[in-house]
Amino acid sequence: MLTPKVGFEKTLQELGLGEGWEWKNGSWWMTAPETFNLRATTCIVLSLEARFVAITAMEREDKEIRLDYQWDLKGDLLSFITATAAHQIPSIADLTPAADWVERETHEYFAVEFTGRENTKPLMMRAGDAVGINLHKEVTQ
Amino acid sequence: MSFRIPIGPYHPALEEPYKLELVCDGETVTDAVMNVGFNFRGIEYLAERRNYLQGITLVERVCGICSNVHSLSFCQAVEQLNGAEPPERALYIRVILAELERLHSHFLWSGVAAKLIGFKTVFMACFTLREKVMDALSAISGNRVNYGMNRIGGVNRDIADPQAVLNILDEMERDITSTIFPIFLEDKTVASRCKGVGILTNEWAKAMGAVGPLARASGVSQDIRKAAPYAAYDRFEFNVPVETAGDVQARLVVHALEMVESCRILRQALTTLPEGPFHSTTPTAARFKVPAGTAISRVEAPRGEVLYQMVSNGTEIPQRVRVRTPTFMNMATVRFTVLGQELADSPLIQASCDPCYSCTDR
Repeated sequence: MLTPKVGFEKTLQELGLGEGWEWKNGSWWMTAPETFNLRATTCIVLSLEARFVAITAMEREDKEIRLDYQWDLKGDLLSFITATAAHQIPSIADLTPAADWVERETHEYFAVEFTGRENTKPLMMRAGDAVGINLHKEVTQ
Repeated sequence: MSFRIPIGPYHPALEEPYKLELVCDGETVTDAVMNVGFNFRGIEYLAERRNYLQGITLVERVCGICSNVHSLSFCQAVEQLNGAEPPERALYIRVILAELERLHSHFLWSGVAAKLIGFKTVFMACFTLREKVMDALSAISGNRVNYGMNRIGGVNRDIADPQAVLNILDEMERDITSTIFPIFLEDKTVASRCKGVGILTNEWAKAMGAVGPLARASGVSQDIRKAAPYAAYDRFEFNVPVETAGDVQARLVVHALEMVESCRILRQALTTLPEGPFHSTTPTAARFKVPAGTAISRVEAPRGEVLYQMVSNGTEIPQRVRVRTPTFMNMATVRFTVLGQELADSPLIQASCDPCYSCTDR
Protein backbone atom coordinates (compact mmCIF):
# COMPACT_ATOMS: atom_id res chain seq x y z
CA MET A 1 0.00 0.00 0.00
CA LEU A 2 1.27 3.47 -0.89
CA THR A 3 2.62 5.61 1.91
CA PRO A 4 2.60 9.43 1.75
CA LYS A 5 5.70 11.60 1.69
CA VAL A 6 6.21 13.19 5.10
CA GLY A 7 5.45 16.92 5.04
CA PHE A 8 4.29 16.91 1.41
CA GLU A 9 1.11 18.84 2.33
CA LYS A 10 3.33 21.78 3.29
CA THR A 11 5.19 21.52 -0.03
CA LEU A 12 1.90 21.65 -1.93
CA GLN A 13 0.86 24.73 0.00
CA GLU A 14 4.21 26.40 -0.73
CA LEU A 15 3.76 25.61 -4.43
CA GLY A 16 0.61 27.75 -4.39
CA LEU A 17 -1.85 24.86 -4.59
CA GLY A 18 -3.90 25.89 -1.57
CA GLU A 19 -4.28 24.77 2.02
CA GLY A 20 -5.81 21.80 3.75
CA TRP A 21 -4.11 19.00 1.83
CA GLU A 22 -4.60 15.58 3.33
CA TRP A 23 -3.29 12.14 2.31
CA LYS A 24 -5.96 9.46 2.19
CA ASN A 25 -6.37 6.17 0.38
CA GLY A 26 -4.00 6.61 -2.54
CA SER A 27 -4.16 10.36 -3.18
CA TRP A 28 -3.56 13.82 -1.75
CA TRP A 29 -6.93 15.54 -1.37
CA MET A 30 -7.90 19.18 -1.10
CA THR A 31 -11.48 20.38 -0.79
CA ALA A 32 -11.61 23.59 -2.77
CA PRO A 33 -12.77 26.64 -0.81
CA GLU A 34 -15.40 29.02 -2.20
CA THR A 35 -12.63 31.32 -3.42
CA PHE A 36 -11.09 28.50 -5.48
CA ASN A 37 -10.21 29.52 -9.03
CA LEU A 38 -10.09 26.37 -11.14
CA ARG A 39 -8.44 27.92 -14.19
CA ALA A 40 -5.79 29.79 -12.19
CA THR A 41 -4.98 26.62 -10.26
CA THR A 42 -4.78 24.66 -13.52
CA CYS A 43 -2.17 27.16 -14.76
CA ILE A 44 -0.13 26.68 -11.58
CA VAL A 45 -0.34 22.88 -11.82
CA LEU A 46 0.70 22.98 -15.46
CA SER A 47 3.65 25.24 -14.66
CA LEU A 48 4.80 22.51 -12.24
CA GLU A 49 4.75 20.05 -15.18
CA ALA A 50 2.01 17.96 -13.60
CA ARG A 51 0.12 15.56 -15.86
CA PHE A 52 -3.65 15.80 -16.15
CA VAL A 53 -5.14 12.42 -15.18
CA ALA A 54 -8.92 12.57 -14.87
CA ILE A 55 -12.08 14.22 -13.65
CA THR A 56 -14.31 12.05 -11.47
CA ALA A 57 -17.90 13.28 -11.30
CA MET A 58 -20.66 12.23 -8.95
CA GLU A 59 -24.04 13.62 -8.00
CA ARG A 60 -24.41 15.29 -4.61
CA GLU A 61 -27.54 15.35 -2.46
CA ASP A 62 -28.24 18.96 -3.54
CA LYS A 63 -28.19 17.72 -7.19
CA GLU A 64 -25.01 19.63 -8.00
CA ILE A 65 -22.14 17.57 -9.36
CA ARG A 66 -19.01 16.98 -7.31
CA LEU A 67 -15.97 17.04 -9.61
CA ASP A 68 -12.61 15.69 -8.46
CA TYR A 69 -9.80 16.97 -10.70
CA GLN A 70 -6.85 14.58 -10.60
CA TRP A 71 -3.27 15.48 -11.49
CA ASP A 72 -0.06 13.50 -11.28
CA LEU A 73 2.77 15.59 -9.84
CA LYS A 74 5.89 13.49 -10.49
CA GLY A 75 4.24 10.33 -9.13
CA ASP A 76 2.09 11.92 -6.43
CA LEU A 77 -1.61 12.01 -7.23
CA LEU A 78 -3.35 15.28 -6.35
CA SER A 79 -7.16 15.48 -6.20
CA PHE A 80 -8.93 18.83 -6.08
CA ILE A 81 -12.52 18.38 -4.88
CA THR A 82 -14.73 20.98 -6.54
CA ALA A 83 -18.39 21.19 -7.54
CA THR A 84 -20.57 22.72 -10.19
CA ALA A 85 -22.73 25.79 -9.62
CA ALA A 86 -26.06 25.38 -11.44
CA HIS A 87 -24.44 22.40 -13.21
CA GLN A 88 -21.73 24.64 -14.70
CA ILE A 89 -17.97 24.91 -14.24
CA PRO A 90 -15.28 26.58 -16.37
CA SER A 91 -13.59 24.46 -18.99
CA ILE A 92 -9.85 23.84 -18.75
CA ALA A 93 -9.58 22.12 -22.14
CA ASP A 94 -8.05 25.25 -23.71
CA LEU A 95 -5.33 25.20 -21.03
CA THR A 96 -4.66 21.47 -21.25
CA PRO A 97 -5.94 19.60 -24.32
CA ALA A 98 -5.75 16.37 -22.27
CA ALA A 99 -8.98 17.50 -20.58
CA ASP A 100 -10.96 17.71 -23.83
CA TRP A 101 -12.22 14.11 -24.00
CA VAL A 102 -12.71 13.94 -20.22
CA GLU A 103 -14.91 17.05 -20.23
CA ARG A 104 -16.94 15.75 -23.17
CA GLU A 105 -17.45 12.43 -21.39
CA THR A 106 -18.41 14.12 -18.10
CA HIS A 107 -20.92 16.28 -20.00
CA GLU A 108 -22.56 13.18 -21.44
CA TYR A 109 -22.64 11.19 -18.20
CA PHE A 110 -23.55 13.96 -15.71
CA ALA A 111 -24.93 16.84 -17.83
CA VAL A 112 -22.19 19.19 -16.64
CA GLU A 113 -21.80 22.31 -18.79
CA PHE A 114 -18.15 23.24 -19.19
CA THR A 115 -18.33 26.95 -19.92
CA GLY A 116 -15.95 28.54 -22.38
CA ARG A 117 -15.74 25.56 -24.74
CA GLU A 118 -16.24 26.29 -28.42
CA ASN A 119 -18.32 23.14 -28.67
CA THR A 120 -18.91 19.97 -26.73
CA LYS A 121 -19.13 17.35 -29.46
CA PRO A 122 -20.49 13.95 -28.43
CA LEU A 123 -17.80 11.43 -27.50
CA MET A 124 -19.41 8.17 -26.35
CA MET A 125 -22.93 9.18 -27.38
CA ARG A 126 -24.19 10.27 -30.78
CA ALA A 127 -25.44 13.68 -31.89
CA GLY A 128 -28.93 14.32 -30.48
CA ASP A 129 -28.67 11.77 -27.64
CA ALA A 130 -29.79 12.96 -24.20
CA VAL A 131 -26.99 13.86 -21.79
CA GLY A 132 -26.79 12.95 -18.09
CA ILE A 133 -27.15 9.22 -18.63
CA ASN A 134 -25.38 8.34 -15.37
CA LEU A 135 -27.90 10.42 -13.42
CA HIS A 136 -30.68 7.97 -14.25
CA LYS A 137 -31.55 6.11 -11.08
CA GLU A 138 -32.90 2.97 -12.69
CA VAL A 139 -33.23 1.61 -16.17
CA THR A 140 -36.80 0.69 -17.03
CA GLN A 141 -37.08 -2.46 -19.09
CA MET B 1 -7.25 18.45 -54.38
CA SER B 2 -8.53 17.62 -50.91
CA PHE B 3 -10.27 14.32 -50.09
CA ARG B 4 -12.14 13.29 -46.95
CA ILE B 5 -11.69 9.57 -46.36
CA PRO B 6 -13.88 7.94 -43.68
CA ILE B 7 -12.30 4.81 -42.22
CA GLY B 8 -14.44 2.67 -39.93
CA PRO B 9 -16.17 2.00 -37.66
CA TYR B 10 -15.84 -1.42 -39.31
CA HIS B 11 -12.95 -1.60 -41.72
CA PRO B 12 -10.14 -4.08 -42.45
CA ALA B 13 -7.52 -1.46 -41.54
CA LEU B 14 -8.85 -1.20 -38.01
CA GLU B 15 -8.49 -3.83 -35.32
CA GLU B 16 -11.42 -2.57 -33.27
CA PRO B 17 -14.46 -0.41 -33.99
CA TYR B 18 -13.73 3.27 -34.16
CA LYS B 19 -14.01 5.81 -36.90
CA LEU B 20 -11.29 8.00 -38.27
CA GLU B 21 -12.03 10.66 -40.85
CA LEU B 22 -8.86 11.59 -42.67
CA VAL B 23 -8.59 14.73 -44.74
CA CYS B 24 -5.94 14.23 -47.41
CA ASP B 25 -4.21 16.47 -49.88
CA GLY B 26 -3.20 13.88 -52.46
CA GLU B 27 -1.51 11.14 -50.43
CA THR B 28 -0.71 13.41 -47.48
CA VAL B 29 -2.92 13.54 -44.39
CA THR B 30 -3.76 17.15 -43.50
CA ASP B 31 -6.33 16.61 -40.75
CA ALA B 32 -7.99 13.81 -38.84
CA VAL B 33 -11.14 13.49 -36.74
CA MET B 34 -11.49 10.59 -34.29
CA ASN B 35 -14.86 9.11 -33.35
CA VAL B 36 -15.16 6.56 -30.53
CA GLY B 37 -18.01 5.15 -28.44
CA PHE B 38 -18.96 2.16 -30.62
CA ASN B 39 -18.17 -0.20 -27.70
CA PHE B 40 -19.86 1.92 -25.03
CA ARG B 41 -21.46 -0.35 -22.41
CA GLY B 42 -21.95 2.01 -19.44
CA ILE B 43 -19.77 -0.10 -17.17
CA GLU B 44 -19.32 2.66 -14.57
CA TYR B 45 -23.11 3.00 -14.32
CA LEU B 46 -23.57 -0.78 -14.10
CA ALA B 47 -20.87 -1.13 -11.41
CA GLU B 48 -22.79 1.34 -9.24
CA ARG B 49 -25.77 -1.03 -9.26
CA ARG B 50 -23.96 -4.20 -8.19
CA ASN B 51 -22.32 -5.25 -4.95
CA TYR B 52 -18.55 -5.37 -4.59
CA LEU B 53 -18.28 -9.06 -5.43
CA GLN B 54 -20.31 -8.64 -8.61
CA GLY B 55 -18.28 -5.52 -9.39
CA ILE B 56 -15.04 -7.51 -9.60
CA THR B 57 -16.56 -9.81 -12.21
CA LEU B 58 -18.04 -6.90 -14.13
CA VAL B 59 -14.92 -4.72 -14.36
CA GLU B 60 -12.82 -7.70 -15.43
CA ARG B 61 -14.90 -7.52 -18.61
CA VAL B 62 -13.97 -3.91 -19.39
CA CYS B 63 -11.22 -5.35 -21.57
CA GLY B 64 -10.43 -8.76 -23.03
CA ILE B 65 -6.68 -8.15 -23.07
CA CYS B 66 -5.86 -6.41 -19.80
CA SER B 67 -8.79 -7.87 -17.83
CA ASN B 68 -6.62 -8.65 -14.79
CA VAL B 69 -5.60 -5.00 -14.46
CA HIS B 70 -9.20 -3.93 -13.98
CA SER B 71 -10.07 -6.43 -11.26
CA LEU B 72 -6.73 -5.67 -9.58
CA SER B 73 -7.38 -1.91 -9.57
CA PHE B 74 -10.92 -2.46 -8.30
CA CYS B 75 -9.79 -4.75 -5.46
CA GLN B 76 -6.91 -2.46 -4.46
CA ALA B 77 -9.32 0.48 -4.16
CA VAL B 78 -11.72 -1.54 -1.97
CA GLU B 79 -8.83 -2.84 0.16
CA GLN B 80 -7.82 0.73 0.95
CA LEU B 81 -11.32 1.44 2.21
CA ASN B 82 -11.92 -1.69 4.27
CA GLY B 83 -8.33 -2.38 5.31
CA ALA B 84 -8.26 -5.95 3.98
CA GLU B 85 -4.52 -6.48 3.59
CA PRO B 86 -3.49 -9.16 1.11
CA PRO B 87 -0.73 -11.47 2.38
CA GLU B 88 2.75 -11.22 0.86
CA ARG B 89 2.31 -14.31 -1.34
CA ALA B 90 -0.86 -12.77 -2.85
CA LEU B 91 1.02 -9.56 -3.70
CA TYR B 92 3.67 -11.59 -5.55
CA ILE B 93 1.03 -13.59 -7.42
CA ARG B 94 -0.65 -10.31 -8.45
CA VAL B 95 2.67 -9.13 -9.91
CA ILE B 96 3.16 -12.45 -11.75
CA LEU B 97 -0.31 -12.25 -13.30
CA ALA B 98 0.15 -8.59 -14.21
CA GLU B 99 3.49 -9.25 -15.95
CA LEU B 100 2.22 -12.31 -17.82
CA GLU B 101 -0.69 -10.17 -18.97
CA ARG B 102 1.72 -7.42 -20.08
CA LEU B 103 3.71 -9.98 -22.06
CA HIS B 104 0.69 -11.39 -23.87
CA SER B 105 -0.57 -7.86 -24.61
CA HIS B 106 2.84 -6.78 -25.93
CA PHE B 107 3.14 -9.94 -28.07
CA LEU B 108 -0.29 -9.27 -29.49
CA TRP B 109 0.62 -5.66 -30.25
CA SER B 110 3.92 -6.71 -31.80
CA GLY B 111 2.12 -9.21 -34.03
CA VAL B 112 -0.41 -6.62 -35.18
CA ALA B 113 2.39 -4.11 -35.83
CA ALA B 114 4.37 -6.72 -37.78
CA LYS B 115 1.33 -7.50 -39.92
CA LEU B 116 0.80 -3.82 -40.71
CA ILE B 117 4.49 -3.37 -41.48
CA GLY B 118 4.07 -6.21 -43.98
CA PHE B 119 6.05 -8.78 -42.05
CA LYS B 120 3.60 -11.64 -41.66
CA THR B 121 6.25 -14.15 -40.63
CA VAL B 122 6.93 -12.04 -37.56
CA PHE B 123 3.19 -11.82 -36.93
CA MET B 124 3.14 -15.63 -36.73
CA ALA B 125 6.24 -15.68 -34.49
CA CYS B 126 4.69 -13.14 -32.09
CA PHE B 127 1.43 -15.02 -31.84
CA THR B 128 3.30 -18.29 -31.24
CA LEU B 129 5.06 -16.58 -28.34
CA ARG B 130 1.75 -15.20 -27.10
CA GLU B 131 0.34 -18.72 -27.00
CA LYS B 132 3.07 -19.73 -24.55
CA VAL B 133 2.02 -16.92 -22.21
CA MET B 134 -1.63 -17.86 -22.63
CA ASP B 135 -0.70 -21.44 -21.71
CA ALA B 136 0.98 -20.18 -18.54
CA LEU B 137 -2.03 -18.02 -17.65
CA SER B 138 -4.35 -20.89 -18.35
CA ALA B 139 -2.28 -23.25 -16.18
CA ILE B 140 -2.39 -20.79 -13.28
CA SER B 141 -5.98 -19.58 -13.48
CA GLY B 142 -7.82 -22.10 -15.65
CA ASN B 143 -8.67 -19.34 -18.15
CA ARG B 144 -7.03 -17.76 -21.19
CA VAL B 145 -8.73 -14.41 -20.57
CA ASN B 146 -10.77 -13.06 -17.63
CA TYR B 147 -8.67 -15.02 -15.16
CA GLY B 148 -10.85 -14.43 -12.10
CA MET B 149 -7.72 -14.28 -9.95
CA ASN B 150 -8.25 -11.15 -7.85
CA ARG B 151 -10.36 -10.98 -4.76
CA ILE B 152 -10.66 -8.40 -2.00
CA GLY B 153 -7.77 -9.28 0.31
CA GLY B 154 -5.71 -11.42 -2.05
CA VAL B 155 -6.06 -13.82 -4.95
CA ASN B 156 -8.37 -16.76 -5.60
CA ARG B 157 -5.75 -19.29 -6.69
CA ASP B 158 -2.22 -20.17 -5.70
CA ILE B 159 0.68 -20.80 -8.07
CA ALA B 160 1.39 -24.35 -7.04
CA ASP B 161 4.26 -24.98 -9.45
CA PRO B 162 6.38 -21.84 -10.04
CA GLN B 163 9.03 -23.97 -11.80
CA ALA B 164 6.58 -24.79 -14.63
CA VAL B 165 6.11 -21.06 -15.30
CA LEU B 166 9.88 -20.55 -15.08
CA ASN B 167 10.37 -23.21 -17.76
CA ILE B 168 7.97 -21.33 -20.08
CA LEU B 169 9.81 -18.11 -19.21
CA ASP B 170 13.14 -19.62 -20.30
CA GLU B 171 11.69 -20.41 -23.71
CA MET B 172 10.11 -16.99 -24.06
CA GLU B 173 13.24 -15.07 -23.14
CA ARG B 174 15.22 -17.09 -25.67
CA ASP B 175 12.65 -16.42 -28.41
CA ILE B 176 12.39 -12.71 -27.60
CA THR B 177 16.14 -12.23 -27.96
CA SER B 178 16.44 -14.48 -31.02
CA THR B 179 13.27 -13.37 -32.90
CA ILE B 180 11.76 -10.08 -31.68
CA PHE B 181 14.96 -8.16 -30.98
CA PRO B 182 16.72 -8.71 -34.35
CA ILE B 183 13.55 -7.75 -36.24
CA PHE B 184 12.34 -4.77 -34.21
CA LEU B 185 15.70 -3.36 -33.20
CA GLU B 186 18.01 -4.09 -36.15
CA ASP B 187 16.10 -5.01 -39.31
CA LYS B 188 16.56 -2.43 -42.10
CA THR B 189 13.17 -3.10 -43.73
CA VAL B 190 11.36 -2.50 -40.43
CA ALA B 191 13.41 0.64 -39.82
CA SER B 192 12.64 2.00 -43.30
CA ARG B 193 8.92 1.50 -42.62
CA CYS B 194 8.91 2.90 -39.08
CA LYS B 195 11.75 5.38 -38.56
CA GLY B 196 10.51 8.97 -38.59
CA VAL B 197 6.91 7.83 -39.11
CA GLY B 198 4.02 8.98 -36.90
CA ILE B 199 6.04 11.14 -34.56
CA LEU B 200 4.47 12.16 -31.24
CA THR B 201 6.69 14.90 -29.85
CA ASN B 202 7.53 15.05 -26.17
CA GLU B 203 5.59 18.33 -25.88
CA TRP B 204 2.41 16.85 -27.35
CA ALA B 205 2.74 13.64 -25.35
CA LYS B 206 2.78 15.74 -22.18
CA ALA B 207 0.05 18.11 -23.32
CA MET B 208 -2.29 15.24 -24.18
CA GLY B 209 -1.58 13.38 -20.93
CA ALA B 210 -0.31 10.34 -22.86
CA VAL B 211 0.70 7.35 -20.76
CA GLY B 212 2.42 3.97 -21.01
CA PRO B 213 4.74 2.77 -23.79
CA LEU B 214 3.36 5.42 -26.17
CA ALA B 215 4.48 8.21 -23.83
CA ARG B 216 7.74 6.48 -22.94
CA ALA B 217 8.62 6.30 -26.65
CA SER B 218 8.29 10.10 -26.64
CA GLY B 219 10.61 10.66 -23.69
CA VAL B 220 8.00 10.71 -20.89
CA SER B 221 9.61 8.38 -18.40
CA GLN B 222 6.81 7.67 -15.95
CA ASP B 223 5.79 4.12 -15.09
CA ILE B 224 3.35 3.72 -12.17
CA ARG B 225 5.14 0.52 -11.09
CA LYS B 226 8.12 2.76 -10.20
CA ALA B 227 6.46 6.14 -9.54
CA ALA B 228 3.74 4.88 -7.19
CA PRO B 229 4.49 1.18 -6.54
CA TYR B 230 1.63 -1.18 -5.75
CA ALA B 231 1.36 -4.93 -5.03
CA ALA B 232 4.99 -6.13 -4.59
CA TYR B 233 6.70 -4.05 -7.31
CA ASP B 234 8.93 -2.23 -4.83
CA ARG B 235 10.66 -5.59 -4.06
CA PHE B 236 11.97 -6.11 -7.62
CA GLU B 237 14.73 -4.64 -9.74
CA PHE B 238 13.74 -3.56 -13.25
CA ASN B 239 14.34 -0.74 -15.70
CA VAL B 240 11.81 1.49 -17.42
CA PRO B 241 12.81 1.68 -21.10
CA VAL B 242 12.50 5.19 -22.52
CA GLU B 243 13.13 6.40 -26.08
CA THR B 244 13.03 9.98 -27.30
CA ALA B 245 12.38 9.79 -31.06
CA GLY B 246 8.60 9.48 -30.59
CA ASP B 247 8.14 7.59 -33.88
CA VAL B 248 6.77 4.12 -34.63
CA GLN B 249 10.29 2.68 -34.42
CA ALA B 250 10.69 4.07 -30.88
CA ARG B 251 7.39 2.42 -29.88
CA LEU B 252 8.65 -0.90 -31.25
CA VAL B 253 11.86 -0.57 -29.25
CA VAL B 254 10.05 0.35 -26.00
CA HIS B 255 7.65 -2.59 -26.34
CA ALA B 256 10.49 -5.03 -27.09
CA LEU B 257 12.60 -3.83 -24.15
CA GLU B 258 9.58 -3.92 -21.82
CA MET B 259 9.11 -7.61 -22.67
CA VAL B 260 12.59 -8.31 -21.36
CA GLU B 261 11.95 -6.30 -18.20
CA SER B 262 8.69 -8.20 -17.63
CA CYS B 263 10.62 -11.48 -17.88
CA ARG B 264 13.12 -10.08 -15.40
CA ILE B 265 10.36 -9.20 -12.90
CA LEU B 266 8.70 -12.59 -13.42
CA ARG B 267 11.94 -14.46 -12.75
CA GLN B 268 12.49 -12.55 -9.49
CA ALA B 269 8.89 -13.03 -8.35
CA LEU B 270 8.76 -16.72 -9.20
CA THR B 271 12.08 -17.57 -7.56
CA THR B 272 11.36 -15.62 -4.36
CA LEU B 273 7.65 -16.37 -4.02
CA PRO B 274 7.07 -16.23 -0.24
CA GLU B 275 5.45 -19.10 1.61
CA GLY B 276 2.11 -18.57 3.31
CA PRO B 277 -1.54 -17.92 2.54
CA PHE B 278 -2.63 -16.28 -0.72
CA HIS B 279 -5.66 -14.44 0.62
CA SER B 280 -6.60 -12.78 3.87
CA THR B 281 -8.48 -14.79 6.46
CA THR B 282 -11.02 -12.02 7.03
CA PRO B 283 -14.53 -13.54 7.00
CA THR B 284 -16.44 -13.00 3.76
CA ALA B 285 -19.09 -10.76 5.31
CA ALA B 286 -16.43 -8.46 6.75
CA ARG B 287 -14.57 -8.32 3.44
CA PHE B 288 -17.61 -6.89 1.71
CA LYS B 289 -18.41 -4.42 4.46
CA VAL B 290 -16.87 -1.29 2.99
CA PRO B 291 -16.85 1.80 5.20
CA ALA B 292 -17.87 5.15 3.73
CA GLY B 293 -15.03 6.96 2.03
CA THR B 294 -13.13 7.54 -1.18
CA ALA B 295 -10.09 5.65 -2.47
CA ILE B 296 -8.00 5.71 -5.62
CA SER B 297 -6.00 2.87 -7.10
CA ARG B 298 -3.55 3.27 -9.96
CA VAL B 299 -2.00 0.39 -11.89
CA GLU B 300 0.42 0.30 -14.83
CA ALA B 301 -1.55 -1.67 -17.43
CA PRO B 302 0.20 -2.90 -20.60
CA ARG B 303 -0.95 0.32 -22.33
CA GLY B 304 -0.26 2.65 -19.40
CA GLU B 305 -1.84 4.00 -16.25
CA VAL B 306 -5.31 2.81 -15.23
CA LEU B 307 -7.11 4.76 -12.50
CA TYR B 308 -10.02 3.54 -10.41
CA GLN B 309 -11.75 5.89 -8.00
CA MET B 310 -14.10 4.15 -5.60
CA VAL B 311 -16.61 6.03 -3.47
CA SER B 312 -18.44 4.09 -0.78
CA ASN B 313 -21.42 5.32 1.24
CA GLY B 314 -21.14 2.43 3.64
CA THR B 315 -23.69 0.21 1.89
CA GLU B 316 -22.91 -2.98 -0.03
CA ILE B 317 -23.24 -1.14 -3.36
CA PRO B 318 -20.51 1.36 -4.34
CA GLN B 319 -21.76 4.91 -4.77
CA ARG B 320 -19.29 5.70 -7.55
CA VAL B 321 -16.87 3.62 -9.61
CA ARG B 322 -14.73 5.74 -11.88
CA VAL B 323 -12.62 3.97 -14.51
CA ARG B 324 -10.05 5.94 -16.49
CA THR B 325 -8.17 3.77 -18.96
CA PRO B 326 -4.87 4.43 -20.78
CA THR B 327 -6.21 4.40 -24.33
CA PHE B 328 -8.76 7.04 -23.34
CA MET B 329 -5.82 9.42 -22.92
CA ASN B 330 -3.63 8.02 -25.71
CA MET B 331 -6.07 7.81 -28.58
CA ALA B 332 -6.59 11.54 -29.00
CA THR B 333 -2.89 11.78 -29.91
CA VAL B 334 -3.51 9.96 -33.21
CA ARG B 335 -4.74 13.22 -34.70
CA PHE B 336 -1.27 14.70 -34.18
CA THR B 337 0.71 11.65 -35.22
CA VAL B 338 -0.97 11.24 -38.63
CA LEU B 339 -0.70 14.90 -39.68
CA GLY B 340 1.67 15.32 -42.62
CA GLN B 341 2.06 11.55 -42.97
CA GLU B 342 1.38 9.31 -45.97
CA LEU B 343 -2.20 8.01 -46.08
CA ALA B 344 -0.85 4.45 -46.48
CA ASP B 345 1.04 4.77 -43.19
CA SER B 346 -2.04 5.77 -41.16
CA PRO B 347 -3.11 2.19 -40.19
CA LEU B 348 0.37 1.48 -38.81
CA ILE B 349 0.50 4.83 -37.00
CA GLN B 350 -2.87 4.22 -35.35
CA ALA B 351 -1.94 0.67 -34.38
CA SER B 352 1.40 1.82 -32.97
CA CYS B 353 -0.52 3.66 -30.22
CA ASP B 354 -1.64 0.18 -29.08
CA PRO B 355 -5.29 1.22 -28.95
CA CYS B 356 -7.91 -0.69 -27.00
CA TYR B 357 -11.45 0.47 -27.68
CA SER B 358 -13.08 -1.83 -25.16
CA CYS B 359 -11.08 0.04 -22.53
CA THR B 360 -11.68 3.45 -24.08
CA ASP B 361 -15.42 3.08 -24.42
CA ARG B 362 -16.10 0.95 -21.31
